[in-house]
Amino acid sequence: MEIELTGLYKSYKRKQVLDKVSLTANPGDCVGILGGNGCGKSTLLSILAGVQKADAGSFLYQREDLLRNGKLRSEVLGYVPQGNPLMEELNAWDNLRLWYDGGAIRRELEGGVLEMLGIGAFLKTPVHKMSGGMKKRLSIGCAVMANPKILLLDEPSAALDIVCKEHIYQYLAGYKAQGGTIFLATHDIQELELCDQCYILKEGRLMPYSYDGDIHRLAGEL
Amino acid sequence: MKKGYAYFCVQMKRGRKVLPRHLLVNLLVCVCMGVLAFLFLERGILSEGRQKYRIGIVGNVTDTYLGFGISALQSLDDSRYVIDLVEMSGKEAEQAFHRGELNGIAYVPDGLVAAVESGANDKPITYVVSEGQKGIASIVMQEIVDVASDLVTRSQSAIFAMQEILVAHDRRDILLKATEDLNLYLIELVLSRSGLCEVEELGMADGLSVITYYLGSILLLFLLLCGINNCLLFTRRARELPGFLAAKGIGCLGQTMGEYLAYVFLLGICLLEVLGVLALAMGKGVFSVPEWRHQETEALWRFGMSMLPVAAMFGAMQFLLYELVEGVVGSMLLQFVCGISMGYLSGFFYPQGFFPDTIQHIGRLLPTGVALGYTHSSLLGEFSWAATGGVVLYGAAFLALAVAARSYRIRRG
Repeated sequence: MEIELTGLYKSYKRKQVLDKVSLTANPGDCVGILGGNGCGKSTLLSILAGVQKADAGSFLYQREDLLRNGKLRSEVLGYVPQGNPLMEELNAWDNLRLWYDGGAIRRELEGGVLEMLGIGAFLKTPVHKMSGGMKKRLSIGCAVMANPKILLLDEPSAALDIVCKEHIYQYLAGYKAQGGTIFLATHDIQELELCDQCYILKEGRLMPYSYDGDIHRLAGEL
Repeated sequence: MKKGYAYFCVQMKRGRKVLPRHLLVNLLVCVCMGVLAFLFLERGILSEGRQKYRIGIVGNVTDTYLGFGISALQSLDDSRYVIDLVEMSGKEAEQAFHRGELNGIAYVPDGLVAAVESGANDKPITYVVSEGQKGIASIVMQEIVDVASDLVTRSQSAIFAMQEILVAHDRRDILLKATEDLNLYLIELVLSRSGLCEVEELGMADGLSVITYYLGSILLLFLLLCGINNCLLFTRRARELPGFLAAKGIGCLGQTMGEYLAYVFLLGICLLEVLGVLALAMGKGVFSVPEWRHQETEALWRFGMSMLPVAAMFGAMQFLLYELVEGVVGSMLLQFVCGISMGYLSGFFYPQGFFPDTIQHIGRLLPTGVALGYTHSSLLGEFSWAATGGVVLYGAAFLALAVAARSYRIRRG
């Protein structure tokens, strides 16, 4: 197993949000994390991304603990939080320029990931004038342009139209095919189709779940 | 380091986007303040319309001397610009007083003139003010009444003494004319009392002239309130951004410094703009600073450059306030309330000597008080280690707290 999440604990004051969360994944896997509102999905992803600190546990990638190795983490990990972490006054180009040099961006716009996400069409549009779908595509673009090995996505298609969702799913399918690993926190049944393994996060505990298309059974589990 | 620099460059770009609007607003503020200052200081246009104290005179004022005295005060004396004397009945005066139309009532007792004519001063004029006016105005009023009463009694005694001497020397033929002459002489003495002494201003505080003091205060107030103008730079940011940046390798220190340095750069440009306007006004002779005679423009620029540490300190304080409060309205309100209240306590509006000792101590210890001390030194072309140290320490403390607040914000998610 290339990626191993072991014994992750996190509590806020007296509330145990994550209680000995463990899982394993291989390159090319998409791991779906389901759960009700406020169950701790976003907390789990933000801990993996290094935004929040876990009380205990490890997140191993090629035997290196990414929770303690910030440099490696920023190299191998791409993170797209629930909201869009973009600079509102600036356009798409300026937002990308924060992370990448101009040459690399141009290359990706001509046949690369940015072209696949259709970012070229709104490159000079200020973020505050973009639609939700444009912002989400740009957020994903910012996260994945460096070709990370692991992608953490927190409800990537929430409030997006069908066309936008389709663009994003197409990209994610391609990313998986190239050996990328996705951790996907979601409420969307359609997104589960991308997943190779699913887990339900409930009362801090992560339980394996096999989705068989029965939405009523899933609702009962949540 | 490379990522931190890239983040700083992006922040500069954000700043450049909002800069034209900021400069325009600053220019408008400068023009408005300039027009007001010109009207107040140069033209005195508003002085005629300023609020006067309205005093009700109650009692019998039909006596020639008293009536003449009151009409002289109302038509000839300098006090007519400050005080309105209105003759009315006791009931009218009390009603007007309760309605707030009068600031005070002076009760003239019956037989006042007779008592004065007999050389006595046992029927005092009673002056009534409301509870809330037991301030400097009522003290001044009481002093005026005391002085008037004293002057009238002593003048009258002088007239009686002169009359007795003339009678004793059998010069009744000139008695009437001499009495009239002495009366006129005494009235002239009272009415032209402003010529009795020359008032020389030593300065308001720290030996600065009024105009220099307020030049420093207005500039500080402008820097303080710049935070309101810059609110969109701080509030229009995605909630997830700090966490995302941290995950990508730009930690709370890198984020804070990148944003703060770009913000101070903007503040510096705004300061330069205001200095440019002031230099222009100085060049046109709109105002002048007595402390900078013969080298005004040069001294103004030197002073402006020396204000950069204060701009950096205020920038750090504004930055911290924006870290502590989320949302446009809350942040703007906090900036305004903090700016105005701290500025008031530290003496931006009135010199600190106006306040009680405890407030003066607090005001001096506040960041605004430290900044004012530094500004006064700079205005006089001096360097104060204590004031500079205070500015640097406050700036560093605000920045450290801002980093801590950003760290908390990232951890909270």
